[in-house]
Amino acid sequence: MNRKQTILLLMYIVPPVVAGCQRVEELGPVATATSVNSIRAAFASDAGGSGASTAAVATGTGWATIRGRFVFDGTPPEMQPYSANKDQATCTVGGKSPLQETLLVDSATQGVANVAIYIRKAPRVHESAEPNEDKVVFDQKVCVFLTHVFPLTIGQTISIKNSDNVGHNTNIDGKNGFNQTIPAGEAVDFKPQKEEAVPVGVVCSIHPWMRAYFLPRANGYYAVTGPDGSFEIANVPAGDELEFQVWHESAGGRGGPLVLSTAEAKQLKWNKKGRFKIKLAENEEKELDIAVPAAAFGG
Amino acid sequence: MLIKDFGGRTMNHNFGRKTWLGALIAAAVLIGCDSVGPPAFRMNMVAAVSTDPPTSPQYQQEIADVLGALFGTPDEPFALPETGLDVSKLRQSAGPAWSDEEGYNYGLYRKHCVHCHGITGDGRGPTAQFLNPYPRDYRPGVYKFKSTFNPAKPTHDDLHTVLINGIPGTAMPSFSLLPGSEVESLVEYVKYLSFRGQMETKLIAFVYDELGEEVAEDESGNEIRDEDGNLVINRPALDPTQNVDQRDMVLEMLAEVIEGWNEANDQIIAPEEESIPAEDRTPEEVLASVEKGRELFYGTRANCIKCHGPTGLGDGQQDDHDNWQKAHKKFLEDTALMAENIDRQAGEDDVDWDQLAEEQELLAAREGVTETLYSLRNAIPRNLRQGVYRGGRRRLDIFRRVYAGIAGSPMPATGPASPGAKGTLTEAEIWNIVDYVVTLPYEPSSQPQRVTPKYTEAIAR
Repeated sequence: MNRKQTILLLMYIVPPVVAGCQRVEELGPVATATSVNSIRAAFASDAGGSGASTAAVATGTGWATIRGRFVFDGTPPEMQPYSANKDQATCTVGGKSPLQETLLVDSATQGVANVAIYIRKAPRVHESAEPNEDKVVFDQKVCVFLTHVFPLTIGQTISIKNSDNVGHNTNIDGKNGFNQTIPAGEAVDFKPQKEEAVPVGVVCSIHPWMRAYFLPRANGYYAVTGPDGSFEIANVPAGDELEFQVWHESAGGRGGPLVLSTAEAKQLKWNKKGRFKIKLAENEEKELDIAVPAAAFGG
Repeated sequence: MLIKDFGGRTMNHNFGRKTWLGALIAAAVLIGCDSVGPPAFRMNMVAAVSTDPPTSPQYQQEIADVLGALFGTPDEPFALPETGLDVSKLRQSAGPAWSDEEGYNYGLYRKHCVHCHGITGDGRGPTAQFLNPYPRDYRPGVYKFKSTFNPAKPTHDDLHTVLINGIPGTAMPSFSLLPGSEVESLVEYVKYLSFRGQMETKLIAFVYDELGEEVAEDESGNEIRDEDGNLVINRPALDPTQNVDQRDMVLEMLAEVIEGWNEANDQIIAPEEESIPAEDRTPEEVLASVEKGRELFYGTRANCIKCHGPTGLGDGQQDDHDNWQKAHKKFLEDTALMAENIDRQAGEDDVDWDQLAEEQELLAAREGVTETLYSLRNAIPRNLRQGVYRGGRRRLDIFRRVYAGIAGSPMPATGPASPGAKGTLTEAEIWNIVDYVVTLPYEPSSQPQRVTPKYTEAIAR
């Protein structure tokens, strides 16, 4: 075999033969026949379950309050401006784009804003947290959604408002799909029907830098931290173990469950899904001061 | 072996070896990939690995098994009676392509669809990455061209129409030459692949939300460690054979998926009679309507101009992506971010090597998936000067596009989001836009539509 033949062989024949069978698309598991048969038999059987295993069972009585603050530990990042490249007359102020809100830390108190904290499954719901039909306003101005993380209770109607003089469209991801044009200076109503486990994205396709988050929940046991990082959830069930979900847009650097491994978080058994459990006594007013290291935001 | 053979040896000396080598290669080529066995449904790895923390391989296997129980395999499809799917139709579309002696065709999906839409219906057939737009990924159960409100599923007839008409301007051809029964069978199969895909996403979410590995604790809430000092991890399995509640919950998820599809017929957009433009309009009436449509097109209520551009060429906002691409984009960006973070952490003074190794492992899992993704594409608004309408060229089709927007794409609705809700525009206004849009191809594309089109009279006829 001369040199040329060998090179040809190496170039054209060997790679396909070697690579041929390792098709990269074929990732992930394939169902195993024996398991499939037994699971299928289980689906065909009539044996009924209790149907309530994941719903928390209430044993406690009375109510309690949980409040606290998320405090940034480290040097807060500086927010960069949005790149508003459309409708600049409206979407910029004095030629400057508004600043992003991916991680807002209050300079005075080091409080972390826009942390969503909510009870995953409530064993009981106080009347003050029950679904209501109050109307809530979700506004946009200077091509920025004015509420960055927007929780609401199923049953409420959102008035999606446009306070700009250009048109927007509000495109809500998740189970309550919504994508409708919102005319300049007008508002459009929307009533979400389904609960989400974590906040879902809200964008505007006309101005794709615009971003906010929606969190529709079945009851009012939720809070989003204010500019000083504080939150309060009142009238939560006492005497039962409550599991809280904590979420931030920039958690882990890419958004999602806020995972903490500080000593106080360990006490709360904070897990990798950004959840912790707590049991409150009747009329207890629990204060949580939660330090959030820069590393929790991938920083 | 090959490398060693290179150099020094004479042709004669090498001849026998070469023949032997050739035979070996030929054998490898012929046998090699047949060893992969019958085609199998593949997991939605972007969804499985996107959860934070990602779905573990054990759970992935359990999810695949539950899906196998609910839906069978590409050769042996299965559907529970409550899905309403016609298994005999599924059987006609599934499996390898062949014809019986009487000329009945089987394996229709593999004969007509699989090369673009892939065996799992993930839009990843062998030709998929060469097409623009990419073939539809059925797994989210989202379809663009349909008669229903934006978030609603398509009706059976909507999918049927797409198969009959194809999608103009894309690689999707018309299958109108197939016998009606074959088209019906394929529609059923496409729905089946969507049911399966939607269930897959739900199962991944269920495992993440309700199950998952957790550090074991003793009764007083302390972590348990084994003899080697490692934390003991509990992993509640996804196993509907052992856990009746899980079984019920899986069936409930299936019921939710089916309900969405069953509701589609109640979500059809039927234009109000009184707003539908009369068929015998005078040219002046048409002109007036076109004029109103033009104003809306350029105005801040309908906002068409923002994306379709001042000339209707589709050259406005082009930075956005459709939902299928957005999911991939987020996955790619997050993976890049993870890699960046790991690099930075490794360079720091106090490195937690255990944690870094853990993150490295997660990154490797993600990178395995990113390698399989096709290059990202932006959602380009339709060029309205071409007269090519993907969802159909009837005025009713265009009305529904403007009314409901296009599901999964950036195109928003101007009508209500659901039956009974309030739209942004009235139906009469939407018909005005339809009148204007259908005039656009009749002007040279270099000419901005600031003036009323010239050929309105001809169009009116």
